[in-house]
Amino acid sequence: MAEITIRDLHFKRGDFQLQLAAVKVAAGEKIAILGENGSGKSTLLQLLTGLLASRNAISYAGQRLEHLSMLQRARCFSLLPQQAEVIFPFSVFEVILLGRFARMQGQSPAEADQQATRQLVQQLELDDLATRNFNQLSGGEQRRVMLARVLNQQARILFLDEPNASLDVRHSLEIFDYLRRQQHTLIAPVHDINLAAQFFQRFWLFKQGHLLADVSRSDLTCELLSETFNVKVSTVADSFLFSR
Amino acid sequence: MKRLLTGLLTLSFVLALCSGATWLNPFNLSGIERDILLELRLPRVLFSAVIGAMLALSGSVYQLTLRNPLADSFTTGTASSAALGAVLGIACGLPVALVPLLALFTGLGGLLLVYRLSVKAGVINPVTMILAGVVVNIVASAVISFSKFYFEESLSSIVFWLMGGFFVVDWPRLFICALLLFFCFILLQRNALQLNLLAFDEASARTMGVNVARLRALSFFLATLLVAVAVSHTGIIGFVGLITPHMARSLYGSDMKHNLTASTLLGALLLMLADAGARSIIPGGAELPVGIVTALLGGVFFLYLLRTRRDRLWHG
Repeated sequence: MAEITIRDLHFKRGDFQLQLAAVKVAAGEKIAILGENGSGKSTLLQLLTGLLASRNAISYAGQRLEHLSMLQRARCFSLLPQQAEVIFPFSVFEVILLGRFARMQGQSPAEADQQATRQLVQQLELDDLATRNFNQLSGGEQRRVMLARVLNQQARILFLDEPNASLDVRHSLEIFDYLRRQQHTLIAPVHDINLAAQFFQRFWLFKQGHLLADVSRSDLTCELLSETFNVKVSTVADSFLFSR
Repeated sequence: MKRLLTGLLTLSFVLALCSGATWLNPFNLSGIERDILLELRLPRVLFSAVIGAMLALSGSVYQLTLRNPLADSFTTGTASSAALGAVLGIACGLPVALVPLLALFTGLGGLLLVYRLSVKAGVINPVTMILAGVVVNIVASAVISFSKFYFEESLSSIVFWLMGGFFVVDWPRLFICALLLFFCFILLQRNALQLNLLAFDEASARTMGVNVARLRALSFFLATLLVAVAVSHTGIIGFVGLITPHMARSLYGSDMKHNLTASTLLGALLLMLADAGARSIIPGGAELPVGIVTALLGGVFFLYLLRTRRDRLWHG
């Protein structure tokens, strides 16, 4: 059974329309969504996570999204929004720890939750930031912490809206490499196409709210990218080169 | 830190008991002084502590659920909307027990109006929220002032009452308020972990497993219930709910499990001291409405917050 099934998805807001006829995603797949600004990438994530109503068009492991409670959804998938923020001075460790809310049984985090969070903080090399106020970190540091919060939710599926936004090259590579090694199903709009081509297996190319192509890495051609972004595309040493 | 807070609370309680038109020495009391202490000052000090705790607890919840460091019952217009309901209830001769109910109804109406005006696509604009709160305050105050003219006899003390103060204190009122405070505190404390998630942006909070709409509705209801009952008994005492959650956050961090408790205790402490000051400041036994003292303290604190959080406020 497919991990995610989308069938006859229609969404309209003002002049913008998003349509997706039929798509299935298998467990563990890593999918990059590519497309111009305003092509519907973030809207699709909002529909997939139930933040926007999708009218029974989306199922997770055979269960319709609308039939899942908030806690069931949180155990099934987690989302890194484009602009994730926290009001008031919470520490980095507290922010990441709260990611486990859907797994917590009691009124406050158990020792196991604290332990798992400490491990994740070490794995993602966030030890130095753990006690700092989240709101006093740089944009890139905040993004890494939010990513850790999303991973700490321990959901099977990750929806990451531009996960490497504000990250430097080294951290971008580290994060994508880390995500590639995980067993999660991953769906992420990505703007850096060469990075996406390096780390993802499957690509959804969106144009004006429509799925232009659903291809594997070997089928991600210059022609397709050119049509998606309205620019000239060539390849140099296995990398895509874009020009106007 | 917890010991410090408990110590300060005890000290403030004793200080408030001894303060007033005449200073009472607890170690050397005459018969009359003992009567004054037990019959007049004890219920008054306890009442001020409970009302302070109610307002502070509501402020802690408003600031989190509205994602605005400047939110409290006064700045959201909830207190004046609730006062409007209470005034109309009294003016129309509603039974005393029903006055807080009408205050709750109008208080919730005012809060929801401000919330609806300031929220767009799930994001609350903090500046719009404060502006909407100001407008609700002005409109509610205008209707209250009009009521004073129209129902002059039944509302002769309305101006004094609107400043906020402890003019009628008795044990039954104290008992009702304390019971409500206990009930709301327990309910909110049980949801403290979930409440923490409301500090995140709406998309994150919803996908982390919390039913944001339901939790926000419950929080609004409980916080406004606290404000409505407090306002029905004491009038508008502003800014206690603004100051104390910030003090609690500085001392014990932002985790709501600690913030709810610390804000509640600090609110009790602050209003006990403010009331002690209001009872002692004018020589000759005259009493200042405590709302004037808290408004002065809160006004300065509000300006301080506006200055230090200006960028964050403007950019949401």
